[in-house]
Formats: sequence, structure tokens, C-alpha cells
Amino acid sequence: MHNHSFARKFLFYLLAVALVACTAVILFFLRDTLDKTLVALLYLLPVGLITNLWGLGPGIISALSAFLSFNYLFIKPFYTFAVHQPTDLVILMVFLIVAMVISQLVGRAQLGMATAKDRERDATQLYELSTILVGLHNNLLISQVLAEYIQTTFQGEYLELEISITDPQMTILPHGATVPKRPPELKLPIQAARGVLGEIRIWRQTPAISSTEKRLLQTFTSQGALVVEREQLAQMESRSKVLEESDKLKSAILSSVSHELRTPLATIKASISSLRSGEVNWNSNAREELIALIDDESDHLDLVVGNLLDMSRLESGALYPKREWNILSEIVIGVLARMQRLTGEHVIDLDIPDDLPLLPVDYIQMVQVFTNLLSNSIKYSPPNSVICIEARVRDETCMLVRISNQGPHVPEEDLERIFDKFYRITAADRVTGIGLGLSICKGIIETHGGKIWAENQPGSFVFNFTLPLDLDGSLPPQMPTEIEPE
Amino acid sequence: MSLNPHILVIDDEPQILRALRTILTEKEFKVTTARNGEEGLTMAATGLPDIIILDLGLPDMDGVEVCARLREWTDSPIIVLSVRDSERDKVAALDKGADDYLTKPFGIEELLARVRVALRHSARKQGSKVNLVVAGELQIDLSWHIVKRNGEEVKLSAHEYNLLAYLVSNRGRVLTHRSILTHVWGSADADHTEYLRVYMRQLRKKLEEDPERPKYLVTEPGLGYRFVGDE
Repeated sequence: MHNHSFARKFLFYLLAVALVACTAVILFFLRDTLDKTLVALLYLLPVGLITNLWGLGPGIISALSAFLSFNYLFIKPFYTFAVHQPTDLVILMVFLIVAMVISQLVGRAQLGMATAKDRERDATQLYELSTILVGLHNNLLISQVLAEYIQTTFQGEYLELEISITDPQMTILPHGATVPKRPPELKLPIQAARGVLGEIRIWRQTPAISSTEKRLLQTFTSQGALVVEREQLAQMESRSKVLEESDKLKSAILSSVSHELRTPLATIKASISSLRSGEVNWNSNAREELIALIDDESDHLDLVVGNLLDMSRLESGALYPKREWNILSEIVIGVLARMQRLTGEHVIDLDIPDDLPLLPVDYIQMVQVFTNLLSNSIKYSPPNSVICIEARVRDETCMLVRISNQGPHVPEEDLERIFDKFYRITAADRVTGIGLGLSICKGIIETHGGKIWAENQPGSFVFNFTLPLDLDGSLPPQMPTEIEPE
Repeated sequence: MSLNPHILVIDDEPQILRALRTILTEKEFKVTTARNGEEGLTMAATGLPDIIILDLGLPDMDGVEVCARLREWTDSPIIVLSVRDSERDKVAALDKGADDYLTKPFGIEELLARVRVALRHSARKQGSKVNLVVAGELQIDLSWHIVKRNGEEVKLSAHEYNLLAYLVSNRGRVLTHRSILTHVWGSADADHTEYLRVYMRQLRKKLEEDPERPKYLVTEPGLGYRFVGDE
């Protein structure tokens, strides 16, 4: 790029003429000792030098002035531009041609080099810009980086970069500057294959924006457009991935749920129809058995539907705990009383000290946590084995509850995944349930601010969970004291 | 009260209406049904039922609202029906004057037990007050403020006694936390469920044979407590 001002250029011409004049003066003093062909050769030195230093224009001027001064000072008759001898004329002509050719050649090479340097700089900048932009993943950062880059390169007075698609952004540089009261000197659309994504506006009066700069800017802009568009596509892709995942989940739910709902329904239908058909003796044990089965299976259906509802409530954030000060043992005992029929084949060992502090939990949700953990423990551990429920204050911030059973160990790599939705280690048809119970527990414990995890212990499998002891920072309230009767 | 008590069932599910009509008629109740809140209110006003069974999820108006409107003029017991996990609605209905609740799906024995309790309670309200309540080994004399267990007097603090007396005089019915707290501690303490938890534990220790498996002072998860006495 030629940013030299006019004055600078003029100075170079002047210097070129001056340098030739200097050479002429020095050579003039040596006129008697030097042959004129040698003088002609020596004259070529400044011409080459000048062209090399200051370019083609000054080079040509120096060649011309060298030619004139050579003729004037060194070709007889001296001090005229007239030439008498034909050989002198030949020398002069050859000199002029050689000087011109040298200055042309050197000048062109210079110009080519300058252009190459400019191009190289452009390419480097573009490379830098695209390297930075590749790592960016949102429109805000992209627009900021692009704007700053353009601003450092073009040194404009004011710059606006606007991205007007999905996540609109507007970057203004330099920060805090006010918009000039005139239309921008340059407006460039950020154009991508799928349409205009935004616009860049630059205010720069002096020096005016050259066509080379404009071209470079266009390259920058299209680079920016590419990145914004790529980002847009990436977002679309991740959205469609999420949709695909949820679609998969939905079909998993559907198949699991229809299986889970149909099984008890099938049992109920079979029992009822055999009762209605009169095939079963009215007073037989079979009748009692069938009726009990119907009762059990409808309870089971209720549980499945309840778990599904809870899961969707948890997911939508609607299952917000109503935390109140509760006595943990009261909750556990209530659960055990209601699960009596299910726990019948197991020995329940309850180890909850009487002096535990009040615990800020949602009563109903904790009932659910214990119900699900217990029914899971019952399901996977052999009959007549012991299920132990213990609670301790772990430290001043939280209570630790452990429910252990003598069921089989879970592979270490699955310990976390058993709390995932619809995840079951055993084959779906061997154990009933849709794999929601534990993920509901996890959801509830986490909305309470606690943590839940499972671990294998020698001879047992343990569910652990913690619950914070404070309710939004406050500790269990003190009871108003009352005088005990004698 | 006529020989066959009159039950009004307000529910928008035809299947539930059909089932309840069949079962309750079989049990020699006179049954009328309404399919929405407006119809229910009208039928309650014209039929003067002895008991109202009210579903909380009605198409035209909020069941809690129906409950409140009924309570403006009738003392007939109201048993609310609702689906699982709508404890807040249940509590609201109970606080608005409903006497008891049942969670769908429910067993018919449960429903009949609640109906019996409700009928007895409204009979008690009309008849003379019973001052001596017996529950297993417990004897509670509400006029002399004496509580005996296996014939021996149990010493209770003032709050403990007030709590017990309130539950006992509403025996068989569920009482919400708020209603118990307001009644025993005063409306300023209506949110301090922790008082209730702690005092209930103390009462159980003094009165229940196995405080871990209470027979008389029963917890209604998320709602409140119920005293279960002898029939």
C-alpha cells in the first residue's frame, strides 16, 4: 500500500535530483583524469541506488537528470547539450537506455515486493482472524472479536458491527465514543450463503478508505459471516440432537410404560373375568386369591402412574419441596406402617436415635424417598434378609441416612447410573418397575439440597443420602419451654 | 336423620359415580349424584343430604370453593375426594370446613369407615356431649381433664392436654396442622408445625404402647393428625 503523502513523494524526487547533482559535482572535479565511458558507468550508481531506495518515479527522474548532466558536463563541447562526435552520441544514447532500463527493472522489482509484502500482511491478518474466530461459539464474542480486529487494522474513527439474526448483537468501537453526525464512509453487509446476517459500518474520513482496504475488509467480513453461520448451524444441530434424544427417551418411556401398565391390567382382567364367568367356586380359596391379586395389582398400577407423574413434575420443576421442621423417625415409621404388606418377608432394622434434631424436609416427598428406596431394597434382596435404616448427624451441616440391604452388589460402573431415568441393570422382564423410583429419589434429595449415592459394602448394598440441617440458614427452632407436670 | 342416611356424591367422573352409587346403595344409603359444582350446590340445597362426598377436581368450579359455599349454610359432613399428591388442595378444603378426605384410588372399606365417622360426628354435634372417651387402654375425661392409661392417671402438660383434647373431641376426623396449631397455640403460631411434631412425639411416648407404631395418635402425611378411638 502507498500511504506516502504527496510531500513525501516530492521530497524523494528532490533528493533524487540532489544525489545526481552531487555525483555530477564529484565527477566534474575528476573530469580530466576519468574517461567518459567510466564516468557514464559511475553515473549509473546513484540511478540504481535511488530507484532501489525511493521507487520507480525518482529512479526515472534520476536517470534523466544523470543523462542531461552527463551530456552538459562531460560530453564535448562542454556546457551545452549539443553533441559533435558520433561516438559521444552513441555513448549518450546507450547511457540513457541503460539508466532507464535499470531504473525500470529495479523499480518494478520494488513495487512487486511491496505488493507482495502487502499481500502477505493481508494473508497473515486473515489467518490470525480466522484462527481466533474458529474457537468462538457465540455471536456476542464473534462480533466483539471481529469488530476489534477490524478496528485495529483500519483505525477508524467509529465502528459499528451489527449481527441481526437469532441472537442479535451490536458492537461499537471505540468504547464510549459517540456516533459521528454523518453517514458512515463505508457500509458492508455481512453476507452469508443463507442471506444477510448483519452489517459493518465504518466512519473514517482521513485517510480515505482505499479499494485495497475495502477488499481486505470484505474478506474479514465474509470470514465473520462464515463463523456466524457455522455457529448458527451448530446450534441448530445441537437442538435437533436434543430433540432426537428426547424422542428416544419418549419411546423408551412409552414401551416401558405400556409394559408396566399392561402387566397389572392383564392380571386384573384375567382375575375379574374368571370371577365373573362362574368358573371359580364362590367359597374357594382361589376366589380369595384372585381378589387379593386384583387389589395388589391395582395398587401397583397406582404406584406406576404416581411415579410417572412425579417424574414429569420433577422435570418441569413443579415438585418444589415445602420444607418444614419434621421428625425423621415419624416419617420413616409412617412409611413402614404403610408398607407393612410389602416388607413382610424382610426384617427391618430401624436405627434412628431419639435425640436427632428436627429436619427441614417436605414430609410427603421424604415419604416418597423412603418408600422408593425401601421398595427397591425389597425387590432386589432375598426374602428374610435384613434391611437396615439408620440416620446420624454427620457434621454440623448435614444428616446422613443409610438404607442397606443384603442384595447383590451393583457393578461399580453402574453405581451412578442406577439413578438415571429408566435405567435398570437387570433385564426388564425379570423385575417389575420402570426404573423411575431411584431417579425420583435423586430429584427430591437434590431439590432439598442434599446428595444421594449408592455403594457396595462387604455383604450388603447401601443407599446413602444427606440432607442439610438448616432451613435457609436457620437451625432447628427452640421449643417454647413448658413446665412439666409433677 | 332418616333411617337410610342420604349421601350426595359430587364428581364429574361417570365411572366413579356409577361405582359409588352401586356400592353405597348396596349398603342401604340413599344416594344422589351431581356432575359438577353448580349442580352439586343446588342438589345439596334441595335434597339436604346427611353427608356430601365431593371431588376436588370439578369441571366448572374449584372443589375448595364448593366446600366453602356449602359451609356457608350447612353443617353436613363433607368428605373430599382427590388424586394423590394434591395435599395442598386437601389441606385447603379441610381448612375451609371439609371434615375428611380420601385419596383416589381408595378402598371401599376406607370410604365406609370415613362415612361412619362423619355420621357419628354429626350425631354427636346434635346430641349431648360425650365427656368420657375410651380408646383401648386409654380413658380421657374431657370434663375433668383427666387422662388415664390402664387405669393410672397420666400427667400431661397444659399444651399436651389441650392438643389431646382437641384431637379426642374430633376423634376419627383428620385435623390439619393449621387448625390444631390455631386451636391449641393460637393463630400467631399457626405455621409452627415443629411444635406439633415435638408435642405429638411427647404425647405418643406418654400414651401409646409403642410410640413408634402409634395406634391412637395417627399421622396423616402432609395434612395433620387424627385420633382413632374405639367405635
